[in-house]
Amino acid sequence: MPDWQELVRRRLSGLALDTVERDEVHAELAAHLENSYEAFCKEGLPEKEAVRRTKEQVADWRELQCEILDAKRGDLMQKRARQLWIPGFLTLILSTTFLMALQKLGFQPRIVSGNDTTGTILFYVPWLMSLPFLGALGAYFWARARASRSTVLLASVFPVLALAAALICMFPIGMIIEDVVGNHVDFGIVATAMLKDGTSWLLVPGAALFLGGLLVSFLFCRRAPSQSTAIGSETTRA
Amino acid sequence: MIGSGIKRGTAELAVLSVLQDGPLHGYELARRIEKRTNGALHFTLAALYPMLYRMEQQRWIRGSWETSANGRRRRCYRLTPAGKKKLSPLEREWAELFHALQQLTKAAHA
Repeated sequence: MPDWQELVRRRLSGLALDTVERDEVHAELAAHLENSYEAFCKEGLPEKEAVRRTKEQVADWRELQCEILDAKRGDLMQKRARQLWIPGFLTLILSTTFLMALQKLGFQPRIVSGNDTTGTILFYVPWLMSLPFLGALGAYFWARARASRSTVLLASVFPVLALAAALICMFPIGMIIEDVVGNHVDFGIVATAMLKDGTSWLLVPGAALFLGGLLVSFLFCRRAPSQSTAIGSETTRA
Repeated sequence: MIGSGIKRGTAELAVLSVLQDGPLHGYELARRIEKRTNGALHFTLAALYPMLYRMEQQRWIRGSWETSANGRRRRCYRLTPAGKKKLSPLEREWAELFHALQQLTKAAHA
């Protein structure tokens, strides 16, 4: 009997879905082909003919791949929104609001002093301590939305990714503006500022968020394929 | 033999109707439809799964992995409340269409 799983995997290798979902589609289609093949064999067809008739079910694998992608794409977009953007922005808003509340309440940041060239780095300790929980909260939403472990981990650090994007855009734009208005800024100063801010607002908070995400990914992330329950004989009679 | 255009239109109705009786995996679903329609509706793998995935995306059906008595893992589809709601108007629409066509052919023969 041919290895239907291998055949489907080879023919639909370009299926641009996340790994778990792609494996599920491969497994489902392979199971269908296997059922068809067994049914043809039961009808008394010789093996070669049974294989040929089974393979005949798909005239054009490339077209099937496109159709599956089209069918799943709507779902994929909804999933992306549900998995990434909505919980991501929620975590970002919560962390920003908490930081603003701390500042409003008069909490002073812990200052880590360096030398003259490196300057000082600020840490809001209560805020940093809240980040593993926020990272875990965001990651929990993603895990519930059946995101893969890597997506959960990546998305748990969404607030720092958003901030990093903002910082990366801000510094060159700032330098260009300063240059246009005639203030020549030393690149060394800019690089030091980026390093300081990167540590205060990206590296350390990112690590705290990641910690929460890591915990959730170990506790809640799905194993492929998804849930398994027993069903009655009615659905399994082929 | 029913033409492909009509088949496409009736395919969703067929899937929803058969799933009314209980959850089924793709192969068994195709087999039941073929049997119940005396072979008029025949789904190949290439025709069936894109449609199932589309219907799943529309939340009319829901697929989940289940293990059968013989230990095989299958993705079984079941009707959702939204699918049940969709079924009645679909049945009515198709009944009306077939009734209208019958009237038309009767009038043509008269």
